Amino acid sequence: MAASQSLEGPGVRFFFEGESGRNTRGLLRLIILCTIAAAAVASRLFSVIRFESIIHEFDPWFNFRATKYLVEHGFYKFWDWFDDRTWHPLGRVTGGTLYPGLMVTSGVIYKVLRFLTFPVDIRNICVLLAPGFSGLTAFATYLLTSEMSDSPSAGLLAAIFMGISPGYISRSVAGSYDNEAIAIFLLVFTFYLWIKSVKEGSIMWAGLCALFYGYMVSAWGGYVFITNLLPLHAFVLTCMGRFSPRLYVSYTTWYALGTLASMQVPFVGFLPIRSSDHMSALGVFGLLQLVGFTEWVRTQLPSKQFQTLLRALVLIVFALAFGFLVLLTVSGTIAPWSGRFYSLWDTGYAKIHIPIIASVSEHQPTAWPAFFFDLNMLIWLFPAGVYMCFRHLKDEQVFIVIYAVLASYFAGVMVRLMLTLTPIVCVAAAMALSQILDTFLVASSPEDPETKANGSSKPNGNANIHEKIASAIPESLSSTKSAVVGIYTRLSKYVIVTACSIYLMIFVMHCTWVTSNAYSSPSVVLASRLPDGSQHIIDDYREAYYWLRQNTHPTAKVMSWWDYGYQIGGMADRPTLVDNNTWNNTHIATVGKAMSSREEVSYPIMKEHEVDYVLVVFGALLGYSGDDINKFLWMVRIAEGIWPDEVKERDYFTPRGEYRVDDEATPTMRNSLMYKMSYYNFDKLFPAGQAVDRVRGSRLPTEGPELSTLEEAFTSENWIIRIYKVKPLDNLGRSHQEAGLFEKGGKKKKASKRKGARVLRVE
Amino acid sequence: MRSLLLGLLLGLCSLVSALSAVGNKLLVIQEDESEKDNYSQFFKDLEARGFQISHRTPKDSSLSLFLHGVPAYSHLLLFPPKSKGLGPELTANVLVDFINQGSNVLLALSSDKSIPSAVSSLLLELDISLSPDRGSLVVDHFNYDTKSASDKHEVLLLPSPDSSRQDVKSYFGVQGLIAFPHSVGQVLGNASPFLASVLKAPATSYIYNPKDDSGDALEDPFATGTQINLVSAFQARNSARFTVFGSAEALQDTWFTASVQLPNGKSEKTSNQEFAKKVTGWTFKEQGVLKAGAIRHWLDEGAQKSTTDLTVLDVNPSIYRIKNDVHYSVELSEWQADHWAPFTPPAADNVQLEVSMLSPFHRLNLVPKQHTANATLYTSDFKLPDQHGIFNFYVEYRRPFLTNVEEKVTVTVRHFAHDEWPRSFAISGAWPWIGGIWVTIAGWVAFVALWLWCKPVEEKKVAGKR
Repeated sequence: MAASQSLEGPGVRFFFEGESGRNTRGLLRLIILCTIAAAAVASRLFSVIRFESIIHEFDPWFNFRATKYLVEHGFYKFWDWFDDRTWHPLGRVTGGTLYPGLMVTSGVIYKVLRFLTFPVDIRNICVLLAPGFSGLTAFATYLLTSEMSDSPSAGLLAAIFMGISPGYISRSVAGSYDNEAIAIFLLVFTFYLWIKSVKEGSIMWAGLCALFYGYMVSAWGGYVFITNLLPLHAFVLTCMGRFSPRLYVSYTTWYALGTLASMQVPFVGFLPIRSSDHMSALGVFGLLQLVGFTEWVRTQLPSKQFQTLLRALVLIVFALAFGFLVLLTVSGTIAPWSGRFYSLWDTGYAKIHIPIIASVSEHQPTAWPAFFFDLNMLIWLFPAGVYMCFRHLKDEQVFIVIYAVLASYFAGVMVRLMLTLTPIVCVAAAMALSQILDTFLVASSPEDPETKANGSSKPNGNANIHEKIASAIPESLSSTKSAVVGIYTRLSKYVIVTACSIYLMIFVMHCTWVTSNAYSSPSVVLASRLPDGSQHIIDDYREAYYWLRQNTHPTAKVMSWWDYGYQIGGMADRPTLVDNNTWNNTHIATVGKAMSSREEVSYPIMKEHEVDYVLVVFGALLGYSGDDINKFLWMVRIAEGIWPDEVKERDYFTPRGEYRVDDEATPTMRNSLMYKMSYYNFDKLFPAGQAVDRVRGSRLPTEGPELSTLEEAFTSENWIIRIYKVKPLDNLGRSHQEAGLFEKGGKKKKASKRKGARVLRVE
Repeated sequence: MRSLLLGLLLGLCSLVSALSAVGNKLLVIQEDESEKDNYSQFFKDLEARGFQISHRTPKDSSLSLFLHGVPAYSHLLLFPPKSKGLGPELTANVLVDFINQGSNVLLALSSDKSIPSAVSSLLLELDISLSPDRGSLVVDHFNYDTKSASDKHEVLLLPSPDSSRQDVKSYFGVQGLIAFPHSVGQVLGNASPFLASVLKAPATSYIYNPKDDSGDALEDPFATGTQINLVSAFQARNSARFTVFGSAEALQDTWFTASVQLPNGKSEKTSNQEFAKKVTGWTFKEQGVLKAGAIRHWLDEGAQKSTTDLTVLDVNPSIYRIKNDVHYSVELSEWQADHWAPFTPPAADNVQLEVSMLSPFHRLNLVPKQHTANATLYTSDFKLPDQHGIFNFYVEYRRPFLTNVEEKVTVTVRHFAHDEWPRSFAISGAWPWIGGIWVTIAGWVAFVALWLWCKPVEEKKVAGKR
């Protein structure tokens, strides 16, 4: 909007009317869209400018590693990739268990740029992919909104909202090389194509929709959202009596082609016809055939007979289909709903049954301030926009309503699904806001010819321009005008324009502030402020990972909690036991058990899995709260899920139910490997008895824990990462405790002082 | 390259000069220089077998078991000192380090001399216990030497030890009786798999403390019968050997040549010299030393099926696929006095190969296929399991008195690649479906053709279908 405002001038009339006016508007729109895309990209570059061009967080490190593999070994090798450096010793059929869309996209971009002789580094492509695609998302949102609303400003508003709203930025800053980086663009664009095809009833648009749906399936697990939303849309339309050949053509085309396309992704495979999550799409497909058939029969039969036939048909088909579905589910042909899906309906489900899902912070229910934090003013424009849809409820508006309801519910259940809510919020809010602007700025007072003349009364005119004209004119004419009351007054226009501008300005400031402060930290590198206000970089993660890289054998297995698996794989290039692809709960529980048990129990587990090093994250020195002791209860819970007799969550709480690490910590807690590794030698940093844990805010026991089966190998500068080496079995066949005692000069108790019956040696 | 040559040269040197598989430097600790003469025959035997013997006293200030952090000697022979201590260079910790770095120790004890605290605490670490009373010895009223100990019955006469297990070769068998004067009996713990008994006391023997005359001691002796070991062997995880020899006197010249007589037998010469040779030979790794040579494995299918020509084969690949046929071979040699010879396990025993990931998927007997001059080639052919992952081909051979063989080869077993499945037309069950596809295609083409060449009869109907 800023761009168009500066174009005011004496030649306004020439530029804004007639044929050349249309061209100008088209050009302006293009320029505005480009500017929006540029703004979207630019606002995501904070982290690159502040830190460096680095991959963020956890999952992106795997994607980055996979992309490098793809670029290095080619597509077919990537397709058949068996990764022997994760999930030791199980390995991971990586090629068949990932969504390759992201890697292939950046691989293609890399190859193209190389072909054009641009000497780019694959890392930079990966870092900048998400901002790049956010520009496209803004464009796709513009297209989608333009389909929804007649107002020409709605699309542009939606585009800029989408471009800078923090709910989307949170997953797409530079370096956040995750599936969502391209998936949101594909999501919005697929919806656009779907709306287009429903509107036109065209096989071409439906085919394109299926194509992009296939791309989306290859890029993100969230494709299930589309798989369920489109059938729901079709179903609701049918129920509303809006079944039409247009719907029939677009849905059947989309379903047939889209399902085939999605089945080409190895990770998805036969899921579309076997898993319950996809059954609604199949069901609606069948329903549409039936409805189509009934419509045809209706044209052939008298209405009386038709009624009877219809009733019988509906009953029989329903009974048959339901019975068939139950049968297939019971017999196991159709997989039951997945755990993540259940936790969508019952927020308590995961906590009880699948702690591994509940342990992920982004699977937690959303706190209500998060909506304001991520969407700011859009969140209260959003219901208004949805309401607007009810006013002229055409097929596409129904879609918006369904999408809005579903996405709001899901966003409330899971933090990460805020991402799917954001596009619809932007669209609906833009519709609402453009409606307000159009109403107040374009509408002319019916009795006042003067105003009418000024606001060139084209019913489908460009609201943007009207709004500019309206806001520009008053200057000269206000004195000559007679007072008009109500919304037609200049005053109300001023007020509305000012209010909207202020809101928009605040929105932009809020977005910038949130992006800069909350979402631009790579989390691999931490920033802190020194007393004098200068920035201090805490680089313990990379320090430790590079230590591993340079000082250990390339096949040394590193055990750590799964959060760090991808980073160890990506940065340290060492095999890990578990990582962020949490496909094997038992294996994770094994690591959890090793971490939460006594050394004597953990050691055989570590030996069995050939662990060479153990890595823990420890924040007590710095006050870094995301450390392993704070995650420890999840390890305990997950381990308890598999070994309820050996690991019990209750044992880690004091009798009064407190989770403590100080003198009052339970013996189970203090003997657990995780506790020992975290606090080993920590008390030596402080004067005797003064060791303080800054995260838990408690004073630690005077005597630090003793380790016998592990030895400290490395501790990073701020003690955030501690690495321990697993000792080999004792050469003389003693336990490590005995060996350690002997080395310290302690004497073994004489065996002669035995009581009871003599133990005889048998051979 | 140079170090390799040097190593080869050194290897050759030791090969010609010593009978031990690991080295020929032997340190003998004796407190009294004069005692050396009592054992002259014993030392002469050792020297004849190529050992370079250094004699030191425990109090020697220049004595050090380590040089630049590595053991200065390959073997250590400890005679019991008169005093209680062994000095700062021979503490239990130093001895444990010495063993941990792969050196061998023969510890001789005598009931006449005290047992140094370093030794007793070391033995406790190895799970060997001695009677806590000083001067306790093993007596037997049925198997004593009537000539020298007709009164006190403290010189035991024992027949040659024979292997207690079918699958263990006998390394200590001798002709005739072995005399064990004033011996210290050892009791072995039950827990440690590293301990083995070389020579047990007779069933009628017991440990007796001559200084303790109270009846309790006799009623409840420290150990009795075959629970008492006169010679016991410990082999650490790294195959370092530690032997406790219950009677230092048995190694003396006098007992090498003495003639002895059982209470109801006839007089005969002792075979102590032979037995000492066997025990030192085993302890100092002239006997029972195994070595795994080259390990080879390759894909045994396709072009590589039943070839053994190593120039053609892709030997030791790091990755296989599930259900691949794999050929595995390992060379095993046993040290025999001065050279490596092919190793053959006892008749009741087998060398086994485990194909394991967390737990074994296969446990196969390796078949001795071929004998070369220095090694036996053990092979096995097997099919990899239908489970991808990181597998170990693991040969673990641990037997009493033999050094441990532990050879682990890690390979990756991947899943089927997308183009390794049988094609659909090769599966007869798929023909109806393939037929269905083609019929559909043909039908569609026919329909399109019909559609294009037929004029629609009714305009309405066409629109409806659309």
